[in-house]
Amino acid sequence: MAEDVVFAPVRVLAEGIRARRLSPVALAETFLDRLERLGPRYNAVVTVTRARALEQARRAEAEIAAGRYRGPLHGIPYGAKDLLATSGGIPTTWGAAPFRDRVFDFDATVILKLEAAGAVLCAKLAMVELAGGMGYRQPNAAFTGPGVNPWNREAWSGGSSSGSGSAVAAGLVPFAVGSETWGSILSPAGNCGVSGLRPTYGRVSRHGAMALCWTLDKLGPLALTADDCGLVLEAIAGRDPADPTTMDRLYRYPGAGPAGRRFRFGVLRGVTDGCEDAVRENFARSLEVLKGLGTVDEVTLPDLPYDDITRTILFAEAASAFEDLIESGGIAGLTAPEDRYTAYARDAILAKDYLKALRLRGVMAREVDRVLAPLDALVAPGRSTVAAMLGGEVRSAIRGTARDVMGNGAGLPAVAVPNGFGARGLPTSLQFMGRAWEENTVLAAAAAYQSATDWHARRPAEV
Amino acid sequence: MTEAEAVRAEVETLLALVRERYGSRLDAEQLAGVRTSIEGIVQASRALRAVRLGNADEPAQPFGAYRADP
Repeated sequence: MAEDVVFAPVRVLAEGIRARRLSPVALAETFLDRLERLGPRYNAVVTVTRARALEQARRAEAEIAAGRYRGPLHGIPYGAKDLLATSGGIPTTWGAAPFRDRVFDFDATVILKLEAAGAVLCAKLAMVELAGGMGYRQPNAAFTGPGVNPWNREAWSGGSSSGSGSAVAAGLVPFAVGSETWGSILSPAGNCGVSGLRPTYGRVSRHGAMALCWTLDKLGPLALTADDCGLVLEAIAGRDPADPTTMDRLYRYPGAGPAGRRFRFGVLRGVTDGCEDAVRENFARSLEVLKGLGTVDEVTLPDLPYDDITRTILFAEAASAFEDLIESGGIAGLTAPEDRYTAYARDAILAKDYLKALRLRGVMAREVDRVLAPLDALVAPGRSTVAAMLGGEVRSAIRGTARDVMGNGAGLPAVAVPNGFGARGLPTSLQFMGRAWEENTVLAAAAAYQSATDWHARRPAEV
Repeated sequence: MTEAEAVRAEVETLLALVRERYGSRLDAEQLAGVRTSIEGIVQASRALRAVRLGNADEPAQPFGAYRADP
């Protein structure tokens, strides 16, 4: 099969499959081969699910040949972050050595939904151990080793959906599913120069996904384009009785939207403070592009302790979610030295402070919505720096400005897309964040930006 | 007591709790790391407490009464 399919967007692959120019079995074989051959180069893969993939691909091929085409993910290979439960003897490791042999006897709802859409599970993808919830401060924080960036193999791909980012960037899968509690979709998307969508909290069922922080965890896609993220979201969104936080809101992705649509963008005052020069310069250039797509106005947020609110909730809930592992001393088996003891400190969070954070979260959500109400999207640099080097420190793993944390704290949708390059040939990114349930608005804005630029079409040199 | 002294006293009190629970597992370097983390927790706690809320400002948390079907 021609190598040009390797970096074709899902939408293009889907057209080929529907027209029967592309064989789902041949497509699966192509990506399985790349996962097995190139996956180790990037520490991107935990398990290649060859048997399950070929079974699903053969089924897809037979159904399509019989005229039963399910939709744009039918026959499309993908990878899942290894915190999504999978049955059939496929391990689900959560990226953590203490769980490297653990097997579930059921599939996460997202896995089931993608199977129903006809997608082909080709791999469980590497991740930072326990999705970074124990406080890691370095790339080497998984039993599979540090996630390696396809743009520069001395740099990090994460985190914490490190394999989901690098696998898409390296053409190992057309799309992947990641999770975000505090930046774990947008960060690897930005580091690896791909598109990543964090859905609204409650849009996608978390059933069968590792719980890091019940009220912050979200699942979403990483793909080559914002448009592809919309196609995947439609397949995985929806109410699930097994996850009571999912909302009964029908989600349909209508496509990128009409050309010429005008958008109202907002930019937080001082949003590039503390950013690297290249990040600041690329963001300024992005704003010039966005001014061609609509209006760009400066906005301000009220002074609230956004970081303290969100971090207190994360630390308290993670300490409870992993109570057994922490209190048994099992965290001593984790890879990053700081992950082996930092969580003990969280016993110092008082219940009253956790509740105060939850109360302030409501204030934060209302205030952010008030600022967002007249806008289609708040835009910002996706990250303040390019990816850290493998031997370096991840200084901001669980630290951030209002720009970084309010979206997660308030459960709002955001999409990150590549917008240039910075130091050491590493990508930078642009983030669009919208009001709750406005995924289609932020996707349309991001797709319009991608129609006006070609950063998403750039490929690493050695893949 | 100055602000810094108050913070330090709070950190030491909470560190004593953690040391009581887990001290046997922690070497000196790890204990220092725990102290740093607790300093962050105390600072966050003080930032949260500095914002005043009204009695009706509830936690942003869903809870529903449960009844098994049917």
